[in-house]
Order: sequence, then structure tokens, then C-alpha cells
Amino acid sequence: MSTLLEVRNLKTHFHTRDGVVKAVDGVNFNLEPGKTLAVVGESGSGKSVTALSIMRLIPKTTGVIGTDSDILFKGESVLGMDDAGVRSIRGNRIAMIFQDPMTSLNPVYRVGRQIGESLILHKGLKKKEADERAVELLDMVGIPHAGERAKDYPHQFSGGMRQRAMIAMALACDPDILIADEPTTALDVTIQAQILELMIELQERTGTAIIMITHDLGVVADMANEVMVMYAGKQIEYGTAEDVFYRPLHPYTWGLLESLPRHDVSEKGILLPITGQPPSLINVPSGCAFHPRCPYAKDVCHTQVPQLTSIEDGHSSACLFSGDPGFRRETASPSREVV
Amino acid sequence: MSDRDDLHHDAHNPHTHDESPVDHGELRDAAGHSIKDQSRSLPIPPTDDIITDGGRTLWGDAWYRLRKNKLAIAGLIWVIFVILVTLSADLWVKPYFGDPLAMDTTLGANLQPPSAEHIMGTDKLGRDVFARVVYGARISLTVGVIAVAISVAIGLIMGALSGYFGGFMDTLIMRGADVFLAFPYVLFAIALIAVLGPSYRNVFIAIGILGWPSIARVFRSSILSVKENEYIDAAKAMGAGHMRMIFRHIMPNAVAPIIVYGTMSIGGAIITEAALSFLGMGVQPPTPSWGLMLSDARPLMVRAPWLMLWPGFAILTTVLAFVLMGDGLRDALDVKMKD
Repeated sequence: MSTLLEVRNLKTHFHTRDGVVKAVDGVNFNLEPGKTLAVVGESGSGKSVTALSIMRLIPKTTGVIGTDSDILFKGESVLGMDDAGVRSIRGNRIAMIFQDPMTSLNPVYRVGRQIGESLILHKGLKKKEADERAVELLDMVGIPHAGERAKDYPHQFSGGMRQRAMIAMALACDPDILIADEPTTALDVTIQAQILELMIELQERTGTAIIMITHDLGVVADMANEVMVMYAGKQIEYGTAEDVFYRPLHPYTWGLLESLPRHDVSEKGILLPITGQPPSLINVPSGCAFHPRCPYAKDVCHTQVPQLTSIEDGHSSACLFSGDPGFRRETASPSREVV
Repeated sequence: MSDRDDLHHDAHNPHTHDESPVDHGELRDAAGHSIKDQSRSLPIPPTDDIITDGGRTLWGDAWYRLRKNKLAIAGLIWVIFVILVTLSADLWVKPYFGDPLAMDTTLGANLQPPSAEHIMGTDKLGRDVFARVVYGARISLTVGVIAVAISVAIGLIMGALSGYFGGFMDTLIMRGADVFLAFPYVLFAIALIAVLGPSYRNVFIAIGILGWPSIARVFRSSILSVKENEYIDAAKAMGAGHMRMIFRHIMPNAVAPIIVYGTMSIGGAIITEAALSFLGMGVQPPTPSWGLMLSDARPLMVRAPWLMLWPGFAILTTVLAFVLMGDGLRDALDVKMKD
């Protein structure tokens, strides 16, 4: 299988009055067709900026993508494309779902019309054909009475239905990649589960690769093939979902997993939060960016910047001690699957 | 959602629940929706959380709220009344009340007080004041509407370019607007007309050109706030180009304040026309214009006070009607006041 998306040394910096914000600082990953990559991290770790960089949606006035960075979609550089080239990919080959379904639909257009818009734009469909296809898509994402609901305005849809409509919109052109930026964060838990199930089911049917951005490890456990953990704009752990969840290498990942409520832990198990706060991206701590919050930090962590290094086959970590086989934690799966 | 919406729900979707085969014997909440056991019904039951308020659109909603505003409706009725009277004037004013231009030079025929024959009296040239007030409305309304149409046309384009593109374009257009606004309004209008020559057509050209900076500013700020919405990012991520972004996604959401401001500006334009005509820089005699009639009546204020009463009353009520209408529209189109 050929690689669908290659991100090479992605650096997205924002020049602000207070200094340079290194929102994404040297991220590398590959995405294979039909696979799901989960990007995990706290707020401000650079997850969303990574996604927006792939879509070329970083505002030109403040955001700068490094000259040695590259994003290859099917071997072609997205960063080198002109505006028309980028537009022909957006929504067509790479589609995106946003976090808040309450505000991501245009209030003045009927839902069906909005879903059909990308078909008119990219596939040259007539209005009527696009409307018909929009109804099929709404039906596919589980909206009942799709024919009638397509004529509704967004304010007549509930949050869960709007997110379904957003998914229908994103999948309209049968994209190769679906980027979902925290698609369930704004929804309540039962609807979250439905939306995730829907995405898994649709992925099986359409073979779309998914980049799932989330701060909720429980969300990714069920659907991710590979997991990338980000901290302060850098990758700190990368591996298969199994590796990252069962054999995490980085102390930050341990912290994330331990702070997750689980149903299979006895009542005396307490949640262990990661102390402190995510660092400022303008003054990133020296050495390992995680050292001020890391319970295992040693002197060397203050000065030496750990590089992402492969520890096991396909499983890498950016911690100076990950190479030490004694520096390990066993964890249970954070899956939210109810048995 | 409010109770009203639930009522609408039942009124408009009487079959929603009856058609659903899984409904029988299930728990129902107060509104009659079935409560499903979400955790067991995976994968993905179609959502049944139908909310609808009867298919009202943004504009339908606005009309509903406008109807409840008595002052705005009074303004609307007065404007419609004036328009109807003006349009039908040829049919009944000329034959029964007299030609607004027909002078009566017989002795004693001029400066008559209101009587059965001349219900608003006659002016110094023996012309029927009622006929002149009615035909004056034509001038005032035409100038008001066309001048504002010119302002809105220029203002919308300038505001859209300025707000959407920002940067240098924004600076250029907004500083240009500042230059226009820096001149005293009426003085600038007089200067323009002095250059173009006083005539009916040049009055609305001058008023129209002077009005664009305010419209552009209002539209720009409206666009800036609409631009922050996630559905604008979503449209960009869908691959929409600049034209589609501006005209389909941003403008329809940003145009409400312009409708309000434009409506109020019609009143302002009518006053400016009256002022210019009063000063002799507007519509030229013998064309009936409210401002010109006031100007003619000024030296006769003591001898024939009705001469200034009627055109003054006409200006007052018509301008007030437009302002009340605009005020009502502002409340009606403000989504934050949504009941």
C-alpha cells in the first residue's frame, strides 16, 4: 500500500506581539489508506494546528510554516500548491469535521443544500442531483426521514444530528482522508458513542483514512490504528494503539492514562492528575518540555532535549530514559466498551 | 426548546412516532418522545430527537417578531400608504384636486387658506398645496430610495472587501471612508452639487456617494464578526473560493444590520434632499419637493402658515416612519433576542 499522507518535519509557528508561538515544532507521521491515526494531547499541544496545516487553513498573516517542512498528499506537496490546487483538495480529497456542531453549519441554508454544496463545487453536480445525493447521505449517517429533514435549517437540528450532518457533508465527495478535530467534545456521552460508532462504520464502508484529534484517550482506544501523543508542539510518543495503550513509554502518556476514569478499576483506585499546566508555547521549558511536570525528571532532563527515537519496532518515544527496559509501566486498556 | 416548539413538533410531524415500529411499549418522556436505551442499541439507532418549530426561516422568524412591534408596523403602514398615494396620484389627485404645476393667476386665487376646494390651501402662485405635497412625496421617496441604493451598493462592496481580505485592502478602504466622513456632510453635498450642477438626478448621486462610508463601516464590522464563526472555517475546509465565501457564506449572515441601517438611512436621505432643496441646491422649481415648498413658505410664515405646515408634517411623518421601521427591523433581526 502506498502512503496516502506524509507529514515531514512540520513546523507551524505564529508570530505574535509577545513572541514566536511554536504551535507545531517538528512533527512527522505517515497515514496509510483506510487507517486511523489518533492525535492525542492536552489543549494547546498543537493537535488542531497540525490539522489546519494539512488543510492549509493557517492564516497567512500570522502563521508561518517552516521552509523545511513538507506535507505530501499522494506524493504531491500540499504546501507547494497554489490556491486553486489547495481548493481542489479541500473538501474533495481531504475533508474536515469541526469540534462544535452547533456553530459549524451555516444558519441561513437548508441542511441538505449545505451537504450538497461540495458536490456542486467539486463534482460538478446540478443542484437537483446534489439535493438528491444529500438526502442519501443524511440517510447514511442515520438521520430519520432524511428527505424531509434535508429541507430543515440547522437550528431545527439537535447537536448530535448536526454532527451527523457535518459527517455527511465531509463524506459527500468520498474523500481519501477525513480529519476530525475533536468531533465529539461538544456532545454528551451517549451521543459521543453514537457518533464514534457511526465513524467506524462509515470508515469500514468507504475506506476513508481518518485523523482523529482528541484529548480523550477513551475516544481513540476503540478506533485508532496508530496513536501520536503530542506535548508542547512536539511528538512525544508514536506507535500502534496497542503499544501506546498497553506498553506506553513516555511518562506523559502514563500520566494521561492514569488520569482517565475507568469502569474496570476497583473503587479504591483514584484518579491521578498530571500536576501543573501545559507550558507556554512562547517560552518552552529548556531540555525536555515536560520536565517541570514529570515526577521522574532528573537533572539531565533540564538541559538535554530528547529526540523521538524508535524503542521497539514502530513504537517511538521522546524521553531520555525510554531506552531503559526498567523504565516501564503496565496499564490496562482505557477502552470505554461496555461488556 | 420551549413548549411552543414541542407543540409545533406535534402539529407538523403527526406521524413521526406512529410510523416508528420500535415505539410501542417503550418509555416515553413528557413530550411523548420515546426514550431509548442508548447503550444497548448500538450500533447507532437513528436519532429520534426531532426538534422543529414548524420550518420557520431566519426571515420568517424576523417577520414574526416584527409583527409584534406596534410602532414598527405603524411605520410600515405609513410608508406603504405614502407609496400607494404617490403611485396612484395621477388617477385622482390631478383630476379632482388640481395639477401641482398649474398656476392660478386670477386675483385672490393665491395664498388661500384650506377650504373645500383646496383642502390644504394654495401657495403664492395659486397652486394646490395638497397636490404639491402628494407629488412631492414622489421626489422624496425616489431620492431616498435611489440614494440609499447607491450608498448600499458601494458600501456593501467596499465593506465586504475590507472586512473579508483585511490587511492593506482594509486600511486603504477604511482610511478612504474616514476622508469622506471627515467633511461636514451637508457642506460636502453642496460642494458636490456645485460641481455637478443642481438637479434632481445630481441630488441622489451626491447623497448616495456620501452615504457609502457609513454603510461600509457597518458591513465591515458585521463581516468581521461573522468571519469568526466555525461554519466559515468549515466552508473554507470544504474548498470554497473567495467569491463563494463572500457571497454565499458571509454576506447572507452579515447583511441584517445593513437592512436596518439602510431603512433608517432612507429617512436621513429624505431630510438631506429637503435640506438641499431648501437651500436651492436640490430639486429646482417648479418641480414640487417638500424642501422647496418649505423654502418658498418661509417668507410667508406669518401670512400663510399652512404653507409650511403640510410639507413639514409630510417630512416629519415619513422620516419617522422609516426610522421606526428600521428600529423594529433591528430588534426583529437580532438573533440574540430570539424568544
